[in-house]
Amino acid sequence: MRVKATINGRRIERDVPDSITLLHFLREDLGLTGTKEGCGSGECGACTVLMNGRTVNACLVLAAEIDGAVIETIEAESKDGKLSKLQEKFHKHHASQCGFCTPGMVMSLKSLVRENPKPSEEEIREAIDGNFCRCTGYKQIIEAVQDATGQLKKPEDIHYA
Amino acid sequence: MLYEFQYVAPKTKSELLALLDRHGDSCKIMAGGTDLLVDIRAGLRKPQVLIDIKKVSDFKPLSFSEKEGLLIGPATTCADVIRDKTVSREFPILIQAAKQLASTQVRNRATIVGNICNASPCADTALPLLCLDASVHIVSKSGSRIVKLKDFFTGVKKTALRKDEVVEKITVPSSMAGGRGGFMKLKRIKGHDLSLVSVCLVKKGSLLRVAIGSASPTPVVLKDFPAQVTADNVADEALRSVKPIDDIRCSKDYRLFMIKTYIERLIEEC
Repeated sequence: MRVKATINGRRIERDVPDSITLLHFLREDLGLTGTKEGCGSGECGACTVLMNGRTVNACLVLAAEIDGAVIETIEAESKDGKLSKLQEKFHKHHASQCGFCTPGMVMSLKSLVRENPKPSEEEIREAIDGNFCRCTGYKQIIEAVQDATGQLKKPEDIHYA
Repeated sequence: MLYEFQYVAPKTKSELLALLDRHGDSCKIMAGGTDLLVDIRAGLRKPQVLIDIKKVSDFKPLSFSEKEGLLIGPATTCADVIRDKTVSREFPILIQAAKQLASTQVRNRATIVGNICNASPCADTALPLLCLDASVHIVSKSGSRIVKLKDFFTGVKKTALRKDEVVEKITVPSSMAGGRGGFMKLKRIKGHDLSLVSVCLVKKGSLLRVAIGSASPTPVVLKDFPAQVTADNVADEALRSVKPIDDIRCSKDYRLFMIKTYIERLIEEC
């Protein structure tokens, strides 16, 4: 299947096998290994990328399906070696431990913050309902997002920095 | 990945129907792919041809009119429904249930029609659609027909759909617009999980309807009740109408207990 798509701002045109996933295509063919494979069946969210602005599990999308789509992955998050605000706050609040869930988490939260610049704690929790983290217990991640969206005003609000 | 299959994305309905007619048993229709690709990966299904219906231009998108009611197209995702202002105003129960389906990422891909055609006993969006008296519009090369959703499910993951047929839309009559109710889903965790049991209630005018999921081979809708019915009456009818089993997720007795509990809570709240 011939596909034309925009991936991290770069237009590509490739022949892709019909039976490979977007996840496989990103990692194996384009070398974009920031997107991780966890469960491979839409449970864990480690492979979360944005497709036309919405989060999807790259393991549940065929590469052939991205014809005409705009895809964003974790590789587009930092610019010229400079971390994005979300990444910087993840670092500051220890929101990443083993790091395997982090790219997917950041993509889900990027999508949230784009649509909702001041999300409540409940909205942050809902936005990562499809992203498992087995290390942090999520609290550091939520705090990082609250900081990135300018919602941690007082020193006593900060527990993990 | 997996094994080699062929992917086709027809652009017109006639092209799609010809493909279905030609491939029959060896093909499978794909919409969001969130059930199908999981099953393929697990080796549960092995279609030779995957027919993606999302690019068919003559299928209609989500819309609402007094005449036709709510129209849900084959490519309408759970997220499309959740974000739609008209659905939010006229059929909020559909959004309540769609929000409980899996995770954000899955809701962005999974379609309502796909949830119905997959015909799982725990299909979240089946319950509000049953309460809202939805109809399934089916088309094939040899013609078209309309089946009531309550007659569409024929068994666990089985439907009235023949091999050469495809669902071109699901409609909800405008007489049900403005109906209010509730959806309760028992899960093992707060996040992404299948239901252990689920109950949906919709009230419109003098009518009250209740549907129950994960408690029989198919989602079940009870007979119509008057709006003032008691919880005991509904619960008696519910327990007569379902046939839950003991399985990996919970016991039959717990399911029956929670159906009764959810009915009591919903009657009190709604």
